[in-house]
Amino acid sequence: MNTTMQRKLVKGAAAAVIAAGIAMAAPAIAHHSFALYNMEQTLTFTGVVTRVNPDANHLQIFFAPMNDERKNVQRGEDGKPLVWAVEMTGSAQAAADGISVGTFPPGTIFTVGMHPLRSGEKAGARVNPGAIYKCPEKKPPAAGKHCDSVDGSVTIGGGQLPVAAPTAR
Amino acid sequence: MELMSLLQDLQASAPAEWMRTSVKAMPLVEGTHVLAAATVFGTILIVDLRLLGLRDVRRAFTRVSDEMLRLTWGAFGLAVVTGALMFAANAGTYYGNTAFRLKMLALLAAGLNMAIFQHRTLRGVAAWDVNATPPRAARVAGLLSILFWLSVIFLARWIGFTKGYDFAVPDDAEINFQF
Repeated sequence: MNTTMQRKLVKGAAAAVIAAGIAMAAPAIAHHSFALYNMEQTLTFTGVVTRVNPDANHLQIFFAPMNDERKNVQRGEDGKPLVWAVEMTGSAQAAADGISVGTFPPGTIFTVGMHPLRSGEKAGARVNPGAIYKCPEKKPPAAGKHCDSVDGSVTIGGGQLPVAAPTAR
Repeated sequence: MELMSLLQDLQASAPAEWMRTSVKAMPLVEGTHVLAAATVFGTILIVDLRLLGLRDVRRAFTRVSDEMLRLTWGAFGLAVVTGALMFAANAGTYYGNTAFRLKMLALLAAGLNMAIFQHRTLRGVAAWDVNATPPRAARVAGLLSILFWLSVIFLARWIGFTKGYDFAVPDDAEINFQF
């Protein structure tokens, strides 16, 4: 192989590496489609955290939605709390926003907007951009209200509280 | 249960916290784990193909295995350390994951296969070391090794896509639901 050919090969390889880098930068923003979720529908929940799953790819917060009076959580026929899940970015990015096992311990009252799964499972993708509000400890909002109305609540992420759009448009 | 509290302690440890909260940690550790696994499988495959009498047949088996297994063990150590770090980050979830459990079983099977080969079949190696085709027991060990390690790799990839949702409220969680 002569030198010119070698140079061409090196240039080609470098171009391939750069192209791969650019291709990988885009998936960092959205590494898969949101076809699983009904993006037309937005559900806004105020609930009590039962568990955080700090998954590397998509952190999940499991929670029991509160009833309209905000005095208790919604319960099934067996009297047990109904549990929903909201998932978002990976645990490291979520931690940078202030969402982690440590900052959302069981019992935390918070408000979040989500696009629910099309499958009907009680889970959805966090509305992003959209704020998550954390109520002060053991201080739920007044009936029909969310954590953004409670004095001393903490805002996580930018933007407004997602407004519920319960039916698909 | 004792195991559960052990998993909780592991998940609460500083390295686990670093794995969960550093944006760089997971890509670096996972990338290293993949490279280590590739080295483990690549070097073991060379030894297994020699056992099957398919490659390197002009070289003595022990020469091939002595050269390769040093790399295998080094890479395996690296894979254990990086794998443990990834496990610690979310120990409870991985422990309950079926693909993860099957992967550990496949790993155990690969280890047992290797131990039996080392302590039984390899004792008589002097008689067949330079033979192009090793005896049946050695060939079986080579074939099983390839199958077990392939299982480890495929099951490992499976873990990432089978985490789903676990809606159960943990038994030990004392959560106040009434206000």
